[in-house]
Amino acid sequence: MSESRIFLSSEANTHRSGGLPRVMWMILLAFAVMLPMVVNAADAIPPKGTYDGKDVLQPIEFPHDTHAKVNQINCMYCHTYARRSKVAGIPPTSKCMGCHTVIATDKPRIKKLTEYWEKGEPPKWKKVHDVPDFVHFTHEKHLRRFVFNADLPVENVSEVCGFCHGDVKNMTVANKRKPLNMGFCVRCHEANGGPSDCWKCHK
Amino acid sequence: MSGHEIKRRDFLKVMGWGGVGATLAGCDMPTTVTLEEGKEEVVSYMSPEEFVIPGIGIYYASTCQQCSAGCGIYGRVREGRVLKLEGNPASQINGGKLCQMGQAGVQTHYNPDRITKPMLRKGKELVEVSWDEAMAELDKRVGKSSSVDGQRVAWFSGSMSGHQSVLLDAYLESVGSKSHFVYEAINSAVSRAVNAEMLGDATPHYRFDKAALLLSFGADLLGASSSPVHYSTQYGEFRSAPRGMHVQIEPSMSLTGANADLWQPVIPGTEGVLAYGLINMLVNKMGYDASGLSLEVRGLIGKYDPAYAAKVTGISEERIEKIAGLLKSKSPSLVLAGTSTEGQRDGYNATAAVTLLNVILGNVGKTIESSGTFPFPQMAAKAGSSRDLLSFASALGKKQYDVVFFHGTNPVHTAPNYLGLVDNLADVPFKVTLSMFLDETAAVSDLVLPLLSSLEDWGTHVADVGGSTQTTDVTIQQPLMKQLYDDTRGFGDIVLSLLKARGVEEYTGFDDYYAYLRDAFSSTPEAITGGLGTKAFWQGSLQKGAVSIQLDKGALQSNPFASEVSEHKADPSYPMHLAPSARLGMWDGRHANIPWLQEAPDQISKVVWESWAEIHPSTAAKMGVTNGDMIKVESRQGAIKVKVYVHRGVHPNVVAVPMGRGHEQYGRYAKGRGVNPLKILSQVTENKTGELALYGTRVKVSNASDKGTLIHMGDSESQVGRKLVSTVTAEVFKNTEGGGNSVA
Amino acid sequence: MSLSNLLNDWTRYRQGIEEGGFHDYEHIFGMAIDLNKCIGCNACSIACYAENNLAVVGEEKFAKDQGMHWLRIERYWDEPDLGADDQEFQEHGASFLPMMCQQCNAATCEPVCPVAATYHTPDGLNAQVYNRCIGSRYCSNNCPYRLRYFNFYSYYETSWPAPLDQQLNPDLSVRDKGVMEKCTFCIQRIRVAKDTAQREERELVDGEFTTACAQTCPTSAIQFGDLQDPNSKVSQLWKQYQVKLGTTEQSKQNKELRGYRVFESLNTEPCVMYLDRVREV
Repeated sequence: MSESRIFLSSEANTHRSGGLPRVMWMILLAFAVMLPMVVNAADAIPPKGTYDGKDVLQPIEFPHDTHAKVNQINCMYCHTYARRSKVAGIPPTSKCMGCHTVIATDKPRIKKLTEYWEKGEPPKWKKVHDVPDFVHFTHEKHLRRFVFNADLPVENVSEVCGFCHGDVKNMTVANKRKPLNMGFCVRCHEANGGPSDCWKCHK
Repeated sequence: MSGHEIKRRDFLKVMGWGGVGATLAGCDMPTTVTLEEGKEEVVSYMSPEEFVIPGIGIYYASTCQQCSAGCGIYGRVREGRVLKLEGNPASQINGGKLCQMGQAGVQTHYNPDRITKPMLRKGKELVEVSWDEAMAELDKRVGKSSSVDGQRVAWFSGSMSGHQSVLLDAYLESVGSKSHFVYEAINSAVSRAVNAEMLGDATPHYRFDKAALLLSFGADLLGASSSPVHYSTQYGEFRSAPRGMHVQIEPSMSLTGANADLWQPVIPGTEGVLAYGLINMLVNKMGYDASGLSLEVRGLIGKYDPAYAAKVTGISEERIEKIAGLLKSKSPSLVLAGTSTEGQRDGYNATAAVTLLNVILGNVGKTIESSGTFPFPQMAAKAGSSRDLLSFASALGKKQYDVVFFHGTNPVHTAPNYLGLVDNLADVPFKVTLSMFLDETAAVSDLVLPLLSSLEDWGTHVADVGGSTQTTDVTIQQPLMKQLYDDTRGFGDIVLSLLKARGVEEYTGFDDYYAYLRDAFSSTPEAITGGLGTKAFWQGSLQKGAVSIQLDKGALQSNPFASEVSEHKADPSYPMHLAPSARLGMWDGRHANIPWLQEAPDQISKVVWESWAEIHPSTAAKMGVTNGDMIKVESRQGAIKVKVYVHRGVHPNVVAVPMGRGHEQYGRYAKGRGVNPLKILSQVTENKTGELALYGTRVKVSNASDKGTLIHMGDSESQVGRKLVSTVTAEVFKNTEGGGNSVA
Repeated sequence: MSLSNLLNDWTRYRQGIEEGGFHDYEHIFGMAIDLNKCIGCNACSIACYAENNLAVVGEEKFAKDQGMHWLRIERYWDEPDLGADDQEFQEHGASFLPMMCQQCNAATCEPVCPVAATYHTPDGLNAQVYNRCIGSRYCSNNCPYRLRYFNFYSYYETSWPAPLDQQLNPDLSVRDKGVMEKCTFCIQRIRVAKDTAQREERELVDGEFTTACAQTCPTSAIQFGDLQDPNSKVSQLWKQYQVKLGTTEQSKQNKELRGYRVFESLNTEPCVMYLDRVREV
């Protein structure tokens, strides 16, 4: 704040810039030069911060562990929109039924799922991970940066998902483990050369 | 809601939406959100098509229904909701552009005051009932086994076209009714009649993009016209180098008039004399050839010498000569008549005089082209007129109907008081309104059937303005999203079920209107499908939003005629003329329930949310009123009180009160807001066509001694020397950007 | 971060001026509005309401000048000092002026923000970060064009009664009470176009994105694009009419040529060029 006043008062005429004091410049440059660097997955610096999320009661207690850990199903098999859109998406019920018309049909949770399918009504899941309305977050760009352009084998995508979603492989119903607040985002952007322009993320 | 249950949504499967069930209500809705886990819901699709991706908008083509112009639209759909409408660039009518009413289509669709269930009058009240009960009531009143006499059933609608029109005709035939009234308060019925008589084409193509001079006698092409966006896109061309000149002659400034190079006020009812005065001058002073005209016509023209024209119109001879000189020097020109010229006792003759100018100036064939002949007359547009309102009112007076259906128009709001519509309707035993809203007409009905919005319903439309001389489009209206309310039904579906109830065999095989449309498309002649298979043709048409139909070649005729226009008479007890001007925005009042449009400043007065009367400063000075003061406008049929807006875009003998507000019903945004000038119209009809003479009402105005303030945008009426809008002369434009005004 | 962004962009701007332009901006989005073609129909304004979640404030608040029209059509009558006072009628019609945030390169709103909620982006846009705004309204007071709009109330509570709220565009937020807002040149559309271009590893192409107002304008009076792209329609228009950034007074080879920026003498460096209205006299 005070810096900005000094800056302005030192300039009587906008068109005849005398430039900033050299020290100022260096401070500014430190913020300014943040060109995206080509990095390998190994170079990615995971964001810091933890959060102690509470348990959420879902219409069906979906076991992420069974799918992602026991059966080694890729995150993006179900959350298929993540690589194409800003939202990762909840898989369409038809995708669940693609397997569960034959697999584990006798289990109570699958019976419940089948009921939804037959009624033609998708389950109303409770949101666990969310960012405020004024935030523009896109899964697609983050996957491109940390997976596809970083030569990370797609099998290992859960490492990158885990940056923000925690170790989902070892959860049943997802639980919020990262703060997902601005500091969390910005620290990661700074560490990995992400953009710092406000309008990149705020809408 | 799953795939197999929503057969009528098969198209969505075709378009890639198959079986989309729920709207993703909680997902990415920009309302205030809580970030606490487990508070918001997120709902997935059941089984979406490959290209449906949450977070990414998909565009579907459809047809705008905010007025009857029939502009092609794209609806941006995300997570099952339509978010925004945009012009369809492939449309021949609007070429990717939209007006404010079209943009506001989403607020008609999502309007909070929509009716969601059928309503039946029980005692004094309209009570919500089930569709079964509603249809049973209909069956009892007009069904096959009812004792109704088909001659005593009438259908009263707004302009319509396409397959809905075909179905409705079939229904009325099955009932045995010959009474289908088509009413639009904003219409060009008189011009159509004159064009049909003089040019052999009721709706020729006006090509002012080709004109060097546009002379408009009150034709509000850019505002309340038969195709505002179409004409506006042309106007953009017209103003490009070589820039055309525009002269507007009208009682009070319209949006079109506000764009004129020369705006000339005129006393309503003297336009015909002015047109004849111009012809007289062109023939007698400027060497135009009148030898092709009959002796009778030439004799008539001779009567209107410029001195006489100047005396009647109050426009100086020099000015008349100037306009005639412009007509001569800037060729080809285009001369058009609008509502202020048509809406007079002698409107037909005055409009004929205006059209005759085109004949004499040689514009026919240059800036007026044949619109060709649409090969499917049963689908062609049934254009609305106000004569149908008057005939309907008189039939009601004679108690000719037992059952009346209303649809697509709101006559109880727009009809003048003198017609006594409400009282006469009370004597009709059974009135049915098909509507999305509880408007004034629905409120006096016995049965109200809630319609789907135009963004939820199927339809086809044929516009009668726009298109090229070779082809015209049958535009397709397709649902952009799942219907918001389960108990609303499509217009086509309702008419189809009425037809089935009459037991008309031809229609019993169709499950719904969609099936009927698909069937109609599957029997399209190969000349139109271009050899595409049924499915491919249907898909292609949906994606494009239209089917192009080759027109039968038409040719303009020239049957110049002229009839005397009666001398304008002063009315000492009602010395002023009422101009119930129409505006792009509120239109005839149908958009008064759209908050965006209520809050959109009027193009001329910049007033929002309320009504106003426009008067000339000299009139205001005589009355001792200034902006915002209340005045009383009184005709022989009644009076309205309204705030005044003073500006120099009105003839001193005219008070202009725009129509569209003054609703007694029609939801939270419209009800009880402003006044309705149509209510106080006098009993004046156009002599030849029997149209309501919209500009034929004489009024007196008085100071209602109530100081007030107008709610309007901006404090400054002029630029006060700031160079906000800089203006250069056409000469400079010509020097720097070329072209000049001659297209030669 | 906001503060650094603000300072950084101002510095870049000044450096650019010294070196004769805004050479290192990635883009400078700008407009050209032809007042010879603008008919004042208001389509652009409603398109803006539809695209940008603009609140309807109602008559009482509108009467207090609290309307939220990011794009308004101003209408002026001919001026008395030009002899119009003697005229009985408005013989040359009205003067219409579509006014939206001029996205000034030397924006007067930016330096007065106490929290750097408004700053210049590397795209040459004047950004407003809603969640950072504390509602001091200094920016609005400092805007010579009066094109910033303040949320005096929580309009989301009243402006979109269900189901009107279903129309809201999820690509931008609904602003809450105490926040300043203004035209963004439809940043959400630019964002989508840039993301697409980036994904496809190519440059932005002129015409693949446009603002809601330019898209709907029936007479095509509004053109929008990147002034840094020499092939864009808008930069060609600026060139054709010899209107340049970086000056407080246009010096044209052909003095008669149309084209000006509103209040450019104030050195705000607006990125909207207007082409003069034309009238036959």
